[in-house]
Amino acid sequence: MQRTLRGYIPMALIGLTVLMLALLPTIDISQIWLLYIFHFFIFLTLANGWNLLAGFSGLLALCPAAFIGLAGYTMTILTWLKIPFYVGILAGGIVAALFAILISRSVFRMRGIYFAIGTLVLPEILRLLFLRWRPVGGGQLHGGGAGYMVKGLTGITMQNTYWLGLAIGLASVIIIAIILRSKFGLGLAAIRDNDASASSSGINVFRLKLYSFIIAGFVMGVAGAIFYTYQGFIEPTSAFNIKWLMTAMLATVIGGKGLEEGPLVGTIVVVILHFQLSRYANISLLIQGIILVIIMLAVPQGITGLIRDFRKEGGLRALRRLTQKRIKLITNPRKD
Amino acid sequence: MDSLADLATPITMGILYGGLYVVIALGLSLVFGVMKVINVAHGDMVVLGSYIAFVASTSLGIDPILWLVLGIPLFFILGIVIQRFFLYRAFKMSADAALIIAFGLGLIIQNAEQLAWTPLSRSLQTSYSLKSFQIGEVYIPLVYLLDFIAALIIILIIHQFLKRTYLGQAITAASQDRQTAELMGINPARVYQIAFGISMALAAVGGVFLGLTFPFTPTSGVSFLIIAFGVIILGGLGSMTGTFIGGLIFGLSQSLGGTFLGPTGQLLVPFVMVIVILTIRPQGLFGR
Repeated sequence: MQRTLRGYIPMALIGLTVLMLALLPTIDISQIWLLYIFHFFIFLTLANGWNLLAGFSGLLALCPAAFIGLAGYTMTILTWLKIPFYVGILAGGIVAALFAILISRSVFRMRGIYFAIGTLVLPEILRLLFLRWRPVGGGQLHGGGAGYMVKGLTGITMQNTYWLGLAIGLASVIIIAIILRSKFGLGLAAIRDNDASASSSGINVFRLKLYSFIIAGFVMGVAGAIFYTYQGFIEPTSAFNIKWLMTAMLATVIGGKGLEEGPLVGTIVVVILHFQLSRYANISLLIQGIILVIIMLAVPQGITGLIRDFRKEGGLRALRRLTQKRIKLITNPRKD
Repeated sequence: MDSLADLATPITMGILYGGLYVVIALGLSLVFGVMKVINVAHGDMVVLGSYIAFVASTSLGIDPILWLVLGIPLFFILGIVIQRFFLYRAFKMSADAALIIAFGLGLIIQNAEQLAWTPLSRSLQTSYSLKSFQIGEVYIPLVYLLDFIAALIIILIIHQFLKRTYLGQAITAASQDRQTAELMGINPARVYQIAFGISMALAAVGGVFLGLTFPFTPTSGVSFLIIAFGVIILGGLGSMTGTFIGGLIFGLSQSLGGTFLGPTGQLLVPFVMVIVILTIRPQGLFGR
């Protein structure tokens, strides 16, 4: 009885946090905090999606921007066709998932690094396509460019957008939790560790990878579409930008790639960086790049991975091991 | 007949500036061949080569091509340093780690360029950069011809190096079978360093000819990385002839895409071609 009660405490804490986050806009909180937390949810969803691909399925997919941009454009174009934006958000996710299915045939034939670069080409192709394509005529953002305003957003406040963000952020966490606790998650872990032996143990490698690709595409797409309802306009160069990949990758790697709680921790760091660095926009990429390199070299398991090690071995011993490793690296880099 | 004459210009130009892509792709393919890691910062390193040559020509007044006498050793050493202190460490953890590190390095280079030289578009101006020559009815800018010549020279040098020198054979051996090469007494760490150094030296060459051929900005690196990868895919990894032909095909399809579809179609055609070819032949046209 005692144990079961204790088992419920973390659940209750999580529930309480979610409830507080949901009620946040109703109290008199400054808009800027809503904005921060909204970004946290969007980035969290991207990081969760990317973690599902790169961390759990062994798919180093460099195409989050393709899902985000496509979903954003779908939502925007639909609002031009007088379809409400919330339908557009869902449609955006579906289009992103369909895109994942469409390209899976070709990209899954490529292994490892081929897959990585094959997927890197996709957002670039889409960007070039959307620079040419004028899906709906008239009233473009400026001078016949390929940018579009999102229509039908009158009456939508920051609060509403915030709740949308909360919903997708929460959904992404729950989806990942369910996947990892299911047979599907076990299969993914087997594929990540060794896809040949997973395949010989009766796991349908292609199908499992496809499922996680579709799920990640959908989740990232919805997050992207919600982001564009907040931004209010879309334009190819920023929609299919490599910065989306950067955000997802940074959040996952800082927090710990392949760890369930990694994106949560990493995204907090990324959001702080995002807003702190916007004051120093000219060096923001430089700093993000340096952080990425340092984290990858010093703590490749990420912050949560580090915490996990601490708890496993007892804080002091882990710390000693870490510093010793550092000292060895510094004093004797050649042996390394 | 008339339309054929109209097409002669873009066809010749595309094939000639395809030479530039050969040079850029060769550096990428060399590192990939040996380490099986795609250096996603390669494009940014090429653009860094353009900027350094830009400084050399504007503030020191050195001709960009002449600058390569200094630039090649400089980049070679830079490559060894990057490999030794960053990439090799990550490489020992996993291939993904090396890719992420390279991605971070690329961002650092991009932003540093932006700070040092502003995001404005630049190009290398020389006495010959606006000259052109005539073959029959076709006028061709001289720099395009230089691209092609550079590609020919580089391919010949690298080919001879890999075939005839001990180091070159070691690199070939390591790229064919790392474990066996190690058993034969080849130090993989050293081979990786040399290969990466050469790749950076090629980036210096590619950077100079890139600057002569096209305008460049700090963010151009990504597109040239994707182009270089496209070339490798077209040609097949590890095939020198393939890379050469792939570069020329890429240049040609870009040039024809521009003719038929306008400026935004330029890169669309070769990129779509890359994806289609990958779908049909995942190992590239000439790959094993």
